[in-house]
Amino acid sequence: MRYVIGVDVGGTFTDVVGVDEEGREFLAKAASTPHDQSEGVIQGLRNLASMLGLTLGELLETTTRIVHGTTVATNALLERRGARTAMLTTEGHRDVVAMREGLKPARYDLRLPAPEPLIPRRLRLGVRERLRPDGAVETPLDAASLDAAITTLRAEGVEAVSICFLHSWAAPAHEHAAAEAVRAALPGVFVTCSADVLPQIKEYERFSTAAVNAYVGPVVSRYLMRLEARLQEAGCAAPVFVILSHGGVAPIAEAARLAAGTALSGPAGGVVAAVALARRGMGANLVTFDMGGTSTDIALVTDGAAAIGRGREVGGERIALDSLDIITLGAGGGSIAHLGAGGTLQVGPQSAGARPGPACYGRGGTLPTVTDANLLLGYLDPGSFLGGAQRLDVAAAERAMALLAGALGLDAAQAALGVHRLVNARMADGVRVATVRRGVDPRGATLLAFGGAAGLHASAVARDLGMARVAVPLFAAGLSAWGMLQTELRHEIARSVVGAGAMPGDDALPALFDGLAEEARAQLAQWYGGEIGLSLAADMRYGEQVFEITVPLDGVVPTRAALREAFHARHRALFTYDLPEEEVVLVTARAAARGVLPALPRLPAGAPRPATPEAERRCLLEGGWTMLPVWRFEALAAGQRVAGPAIVESPTTTVLLQPGDAAVMEPGGWLAVSLG
Amino acid sequence: MDPVTLAVLNARFTAIVEEMGEALLRTAYSQILNSSRDFSIAVTDGQCRLVAQADHIPVHVGAMPFAARAVVDRFGDAMKPGDVYLLNDPWHGGSHLPDLTIVLPIFGEGSLRFLAVVRAHHSDIGGATHGGYNPGATEIWQEGLRIPPILLGEGGEMRPDLVDMLALNTRINRDFRGDLAAMLGAAKLGALRLGALLDQHGATALMGAVDAILDLAHAHAARIVESWPDGTWTGEAFLDDDGHGAENIAIRATCTKRGGTLTVDLSASDDQVRGFVNSSHPNMVSACCMGFAYLLDPEVAKNEGAFRALRVVAREGSVVWAREGAAVTLCTSHCSNEIVEAIMRAMQGCCPERVMGGWGRRFRIAITGEDARRPQADGKGRRFVWHLFHARPGGGGHAKGDGWSTAGEWHSAGGLKFGSVEMAEARFPLHFRRHEFLPGSAGEGQHRGGLGALLDLVVESDGPARANTAGDGARHGSAGLHSGQDSAPHRYVLRHADGTERVLRTKEVGVVIQPGEVIEVRSAGGGGWGDPAQRDPHAVEADRAEGLL
Repeated sequence: MRYVIGVDVGGTFTDVVGVDEEGREFLAKAASTPHDQSEGVIQGLRNLASMLGLTLGELLETTTRIVHGTTVATNALLERRGARTAMLTTEGHRDVVAMREGLKPARYDLRLPAPEPLIPRRLRLGVRERLRPDGAVETPLDAASLDAAITTLRAEGVEAVSICFLHSWAAPAHEHAAAEAVRAALPGVFVTCSADVLPQIKEYERFSTAAVNAYVGPVVSRYLMRLEARLQEAGCAAPVFVILSHGGVAPIAEAARLAAGTALSGPAGGVVAAVALARRGMGANLVTFDMGGTSTDIALVTDGAAAIGRGREVGGERIALDSLDIITLGAGGGSIAHLGAGGTLQVGPQSAGARPGPACYGRGGTLPTVTDANLLLGYLDPGSFLGGAQRLDVAAAERAMALLAGALGLDAAQAALGVHRLVNARMADGVRVATVRRGVDPRGATLLAFGGAAGLHASAVARDLGMARVAVPLFAAGLSAWGMLQTELRHEIARSVVGAGAMPGDDALPALFDGLAEEARAQLAQWYGGEIGLSLAADMRYGEQVFEITVPLDGVVPTRAALREAFHARHRALFTYDLPEEEVVLVTARAAARGVLPALPRLPAGAPRPATPEAERRCLLEGGWTMLPVWRFEALAAGQRVAGPAIVESPTTTVLLQPGDAAVMEPGGWLAVSLG
Repeated sequence: MDPVTLAVLNARFTAIVEEMGEALLRTAYSQILNSSRDFSIAVTDGQCRLVAQADHIPVHVGAMPFAARAVVDRFGDAMKPGDVYLLNDPWHGGSHLPDLTIVLPIFGEGSLRFLAVVRAHHSDIGGATHGGYNPGATEIWQEGLRIPPILLGEGGEMRPDLVDMLALNTRINRDFRGDLAAMLGAAKLGALRLGALLDQHGATALMGAVDAILDLAHAHAARIVESWPDGTWTGEAFLDDDGHGAENIAIRATCTKRGGTLTVDLSASDDQVRGFVNSSHPNMVSACCMGFAYLLDPEVAKNEGAFRALRVVAREGSVVWAREGAAVTLCTSHCSNEIVEAIMRAMQGCCPERVMGGWGRRFRIAITGEDARRPQADGKGRRFVWHLFHARPGGGGHAKGDGWSTAGEWHSAGGLKFGSVEMAEARFPLHFRRHEFLPGSAGEGQHRGGLGALLDLVVESDGPARANTAGDGARHGSAGLHSGQDSAPHRYVLRHADGTERVLRTKEVGVVIQPGEVIEVRSAGGGGWGDPAQRDPHAVEADRAEGLL
């Protein structure tokens, strides 16, 4: 039997999903190991192997593809634990990234603290050189000033250098020469050139993306190399891919080079999974609600597609690469409940994380978390958490909660219910940010709950928002990892072509796009032997505009007339008007090569016969302590109905159905809940 | 209406104005709009009450309803779906002449329900000098073309002959037409979205929701004001000059706080002056709204409801409310900034944790010349007008920390982008030799101001270029508050080829720049907040290590 494997490293758990040739899906979990995520990955693979009755070596020998989502870059940015990074930049322009083009977010918040720069000013070093917008050399790259900068880099012991020269988008030679000099003088230092990361005009976006790339690059590449070595050591011969912020995947070497493109690698899998589930009939409009141990990710799928933006900020830093639109909240099952300064109950932002984890994990945690609350409320079974692999210590949870309860003047159970309700409210606020505050009414959409903790909170969160439908996949706990197996390989190339004229002539245009397409194809072919799909796009604008519109050119032969016509039409569709007499300027040509990975076989979900509740459990709901029937999730037959209040649980997911909820097991493999 | 629907609608109105703003930003032609975002978008209801405004340029926040009101007053029942209205005159709904405003009425169930208002600063509006700002002007007719509310077109289209007439009165025809088309596009997008909202909810229910949204914002604002002590405080701020002999022109605010209402009385300000630093009435009201909004929590919705908690009193004939016919073009910058400064100085006695050190003053340069790299049919270079937005001054320090560096002035508060240097060099005959933070430019304080900037700009026009300046703050730096210190003022010079310099004053017309000469800008940082002796020594050390002192 052969397997493909998806690996999603969360803040608390590492999820490993294996799918065999017949479409059977297996989920194994291991505790995440933040000091070196690859340890948890290997342990997760070992757990999967033993679930399948194999050794790790046997599993990896029969594995044909591994896709990995990592939060290494994200964490480095959010926690400011990236490499000690410097910037070499054009003399006289060393504050480009700190000036942020004069823009400050939150227009009416004049008391908003100013951000700390990712690269301190004393490590942003000017180098004497200067290009003109057409790429002509105004001042040659000055060897003495470059040497002086390198001396400073050495003295400061930097680990990474971004090289950011003005107009390098037009001519990268100065950047490349400087990079070569730095590499030669400081072997082992991670060097990145802005023109290689984002060869486009507009220095702030290019420099900032390059700065982020340098800042996270060493951390990400060290991690990926270590992972690759461990996998090879364990007998893995399969290609290993990393899912990127835009939802496509790339091999390890490319992910390490363009590390800034992994900033949303972690949550991307869940969004890709949602798109796949939308196609399988879950509904065209979904709100993803991925609640893990330390954080919760929320995104929108509208009409079956996830929005991709040209750039976003992570940890306050601009990354101008394509990215899914995901909102992350710093709260999850591991969030610690405490008494705030104002004497009110608060949950998070501190988290017990993977170590020590919630008090009930018995690993030394003494502070009460959301998971401890859920245990004390009876929602979780102490004996069958993670299929019994992790025994939950009720007494430890009680001890932790008692401290907080005493301060609140409540008993432990009432305090636990307060924690549960409070976290529900925070989650609902998060969904509001992703929907209501953008003017999207969530009530027509389905709340797709996944991640280890979402099943216990989804019904209450949806009710708070007035949403009528919740869906919880049988595979909720590993959905992000599963999603990574549903996406395609993608390599994108973009090149600015701003010149004297509005557009190259018809003699040059097809060659330009053909060349880019060929380059993208050749890059992808280095990692991928299958069939490659190509798509072209052009960023264009009217003569005096400065913002371009990306116009897809699928099926369009790129002649001047065709580009112009496509642009007028797109401008009309977006902005209500076009200016047919105006010149149309081509700024950036784009090509994307897509490698379609083999689709996974699918098995209809559901047991052959309807199940009956396997047990009863005493739970505290809003109305008081109640005995709830406990159903085995995987024992439900397709079409079988379950009325709330009830608990539906699998080894990795527990769903709490509130009074009035009506659930049905869908053949697609999820529990569809209608809220009464 | 249920609270969820209300919340959705409130956000929907904001989402609509933001989408309109994004459309205008992306489609506009002139650098002042598409790079520097000098525009604002609002939606009012049929009674011309501000319902939602995109977070663009704060100084427009309270001014937009005046435009809607001027159109409704002029055309009343004659207004019909598809009408396109235009205005710019400060005594007819405008703030100053360069700001053109397009107003589109939106009808539902037979009545006027909303007005989509799009205001954008045009790079030229005729008058005696290029670039919209004429420091030589002593009356409005020297400042440009005055447009009262006019019916620019019907059926969602502009009358081409009217557009021809307007364009003929401006210097950069192509930008003017492109920007006007972009403004109408944005307004139509808003009309489209609001029309859909009316269809979806029905006019009666939707207008009921608008009432509720405004009432909620009022309650929110009033709750915050109520938390401050009652009392009366005064503050004053000074303009450098008007360019025509008046110096140290005083703006005086008397702020009286009672319960949930703040009254700002500017009556004690100096009389109006000859030069263009006078304010129009709508701009003065708007500047007060802006200062008030800064004192509230940022989450308070910026709509008519919130501003019910503010009362504005002023005296016609004073510098903050000039009589019809006065020169006023600089007013969206100055004296708007001084109005806010006077309010902040007064309110430091009331709510010192909420006031912030002064944001820098605006000192703009508009350069015009010919660009040899873009030859026209006649062999001459294409004419350009470029506005200086780079080398922004710093923001003020405040209770929570140091000010934002190079984030600009009170009237924009980090909302005016200076745009890409690469793009500016590609599009204009300009060379940015240096553009960095200016060490030592911040006003000191427990929390210092943000830094200003230095810019050495080589002008590479084909033949001599000409520059007009328009601004203030070469004498007065950014205000230090709550025992914080003022920053040093701006210093701009023109460096000649022989190395000699000529200091640029803030209000000059027709400065000749020879090709290759350098404009050297040293802009002010922000004002400090709190006693500098209280500053954390580690913060001083960090500033030193970063080369910021």
